[in-house]
Amino acid sequence: MTEAEAAPSTPVTKSPRLVVDARGSWCPGPLMELVRVIKEEPVGTEFELLSSDEGSRKDVPLWLDKAGHQLVELRPDSGFDRFIIRKLHE
Amino acid sequence: MAIVLTESVADKLLPFATLVSGALALGFRVDVFASYWGLVAFRKTPAPSAATVSPGHGEEGARLERALAAPKAPSWKAMLEMAKSIGELHIYACSQSMELLGLSKEELDPLVDGVTGVATFIDRTRYANVTYFI
Repeated sequence: MTEAEAAPSTPVTKSPRLVVDARGSWCPGPLMELVRVIKEEPVGTEFELLSSDEGSRKDVPLWLDKAGHQLVELRPDSGFDRFIIRKLHE
Repeated sequence: MAIVLTESVADKLLPFATLVSGALALGFRVDVFASYWGLVAFRKTPAPSAATVSPGHGEEGARLERALAAPKAPSWKAMLEMAKSIGELHIYACSQSMELLGLSKEELDPLVDGVTGVATFIDRTRYANVTYFI
């Protein structure tokens, strides 16, 4: 991952991604954080969920699949994972 | 999902709150029957210690208690509050336990929705597809 990708003002996305930093939160904390914030933002919003909980790797994609939102990318980082998510509907 | 909760130690309450959270995230309706120590867990004062684990686990139990006493440790009640805000979670106090333990509804955490007998709980959860006894 480059510095530019991590910057909130990266020009490739139309709007800045909403970062949900759930690192250090235990299972199912990161998933619950995502469920909460995704409700509050408009359709089309992109989220960047950071989780150091290993369970999130399967739980978050499973939930997105059931809830009908998009997992744009799952990017492993050092000691945590970065989930890029797009809200597809209300 | 139906859950019968009978314990008030952290190593039961945290897995309980974790299951509830996961179920609500996936859109399950969850009905909880809090009975015996599971009801005491919801008592406001004195509230049972959130860092006490079941006996018989030696050094590992002591280690878990230290971890749970840390400021960033997860709180089972906060997890339930969070879960309740995203979905349908109902917590019922077992009327028999209320009587045996001399408790009134006012002495319980507001997370508890009401007091019911076992038949009402069984009827409410008649079609539950998952049932846990904790």
